[in-house]
Amino acid sequence: MSHGFGTDQDAWFALRPWVKERFDVISFDLAGCGPGGAESYDFDRHGSMFGYADDLIELIDELGVQGCVYIGHSMSSMIGAAAACARPELFSRLVMIGASPRYLNDDGYLGGFEQEGLDQLFASMAANFQAWVAGFAPMVVGVDDSEAVADFSRTLFQMRPDIALNTSRTIFGSDMRNTARRVPTPVHLIQTAADVAVPLQVGEWLAAAMPNATLDVIDASGHLPHITAPNEVRRILEQRLAGLVS
Amino acid sequence: MTPSPNEALYELCGFARVACEADLVMALEVDDAGRASPVASSPPHDFSSFNLTRSGLFDIEWSAIPDAANKYRLPTAVVHALPEMPTSLLFVPAPVEHAPRSGLLLLWTRAPSPAPLIEHVRLLASSVASTLAARREAVRQVAMRDQFNDLLESVPSGIVLFDGDGQSAMINERAAALLACRPGSHRSSELAAPMRALRERCANHAELETAYAAQVGNVHYAATQHWVLGERTYEVDTHPVSGDGQHGRIWLFTDVTAELRIAAKLRGLAQSDPLTGLPNRRHFEEQAAQILTAAVAAEHTVALLMVDVDHFKQINDTHGHPVGDAVLKAVAGRCSDVLRDGDLFARFGGEEFIGLLTITTEHEAAVIAERLRNAIAYTPVLIGQLAITVSVSVGAATTRMMSATSGEVLESLIESADAALYRAKQNGRNRVTIA
Repeated sequence: MSHGFGTDQDAWFALRPWVKERFDVISFDLAGCGPGGAESYDFDRHGSMFGYADDLIELIDELGVQGCVYIGHSMSSMIGAAAACARPELFSRLVMIGASPRYLNDDGYLGGFEQEGLDQLFASMAANFQAWVAGFAPMVVGVDDSEAVADFSRTLFQMRPDIALNTSRTIFGSDMRNTARRVPTPVHLIQTAADVAVPLQVGEWLAAAMPNATLDVIDASGHLPHITAPNEVRRILEQRLAGLVS
Repeated sequence: MTPSPNEALYELCGFARVACEADLVMALEVDDAGRASPVASSPPHDFSSFNLTRSGLFDIEWSAIPDAANKYRLPTAVVHALPEMPTSLLFVPAPVEHAPRSGLLLLWTRAPSPAPLIEHVRLLASSVASTLAARREAVRQVAMRDQFNDLLESVPSGIVLFDGDGQSAMINERAAALLACRPGSHRSSELAAPMRALRERCANHAELETAYAAQVGNVHYAATQHWVLGERTYEVDTHPVSGDGQHGRIWLFTDVTAELRIAAKLRGLAQSDPLTGLPNRRHFEEQAAQILTAAVAAEHTVALLMVDVDHFKQINDTHGHPVGDAVLKAVAGRCSDVLRDGDLFARFGGEEFIGLLTITTEHEAAVIAERLRNAIAYTPVLIGQLAITVSVSVGAATTRMMSATSGEVLESLIESADAALYRAKQNGRNRVTIA
């Protein structure tokens, strides 16, 4: 289970019991995230989503795992896709919550963001990280859940501001559409009906572009449904992973 | 034009790709920890760095024969730079100092046809290595220059650096602004005129010319001078580089205007009485010594006046201390107004003031003392709604200064004037008494 930007592996607390009953669970903190984040982060290596994918493959190799079910949230969705393209034998399924292969709009592609808006976002992050978090957290959580907002803010603050800025540049600057097109692994996309980071069209684009993907739009809002609507997410997992449960 | 090392590496990759019918060729700079920076590739891609320690690429002795790609752990970025999974690869080591694992990586997505040129791709190794080394050196020099420039511009001073060869010079942005020319490298001769022009614009340029003229021909001289340019003052330090003029000469321009102002202000604060703004007793004594010395030389007569506010305690008791303070300020102001520029007038303590003046006749002392008395008494002091009638008593003593005059002349003048003041008080106040 691989968390998304601004959270750490604690983000899985609501889903973990369900998954643990059915699988052996491995979760970890992405480079730059979690309590010791600054030490694991390399500004050059992690300036690309592929650096994170290399980390993921190294970790799975280290543990000697093959054919795992990978659950990735947000940026971890495309990290999993990149890793699965390079090493198909390591993965049997990819579950992607709130995935986007590209955040910037492009000809014939709606990512939800324009360069100008992103430049403003980076500028306000750089100018005052505290104030930026205060505005960004409730927007991303997307539902009136003060505990989730407080928790997301806490893990955002856990990141060193320069690392958070560089990470968001990497994410929002990424274009993983070619990667998505060649994922050899079956993919289950889960997204909410209203997600500030990922328009519905992005999920539809992915479902159409990936060789073997399902899309479930759940009746929830926000970018963090595994935290704010875990029952909905569990229901989809139950259904999509039914054949795999031992 | 010679291509830059970067361009040359792209060309080498392109040549290798065409010659070997490969799908991707990368020039990699790899340190001994396996950290790899993809420096160039064909086709070109933007790569971040990755680590090749566990890739397996360094575990075998490479010959000219491509190997099966699935035996190696390739970074995901490399896989994604290809349209599909690679089937074969070949690594051509091109070790460089500080990056001993560098080399060319060739990848194929189909088994390469046994093109005869693959065998010869190893001949590129030495070119790749020398170009990587040249690039590394270029990057290092740029980094050093950037660091140096950053340092140069972080210093809050203008810097002019003349090289020891007498040919070239370098100035930072602050110096460029002062000299009205562009920052960066110049020929030494181009900077001589702006430097001279700046000096000639200084208010104190005559003094500066004299100071620097004395050093003409001395390559080792070091000096610090103040250059006064309009309202600003620069401390200009010049010294030979590493103490030897043969190595060059450095000029540092530091704007010290604010420091000088603060220093002058602090000096003023230490010397004046905070309530009235008049010199305090200590400063009076310093200044008095100078006046008396000057008067000895000119054999002038001096007058010492003791001025005391009448019934001051009563004013304080009736109206309170704030009003008492306002009265003292008014007295100080009125007295200062009727005295001449060169006269010294200070607060001596409490409600007592002291004046020291150079006069031509003894009679003049009485005139000035009377002027002071009248300046206070002629109209009440207005404080808010209050009109307070205030008067002062003045005791004066005079003496003609001569070389034989005793060193304790100030003490004896104060003593005499004090005695006269006492009599003025005894005789009913608001009056002048001459000793």
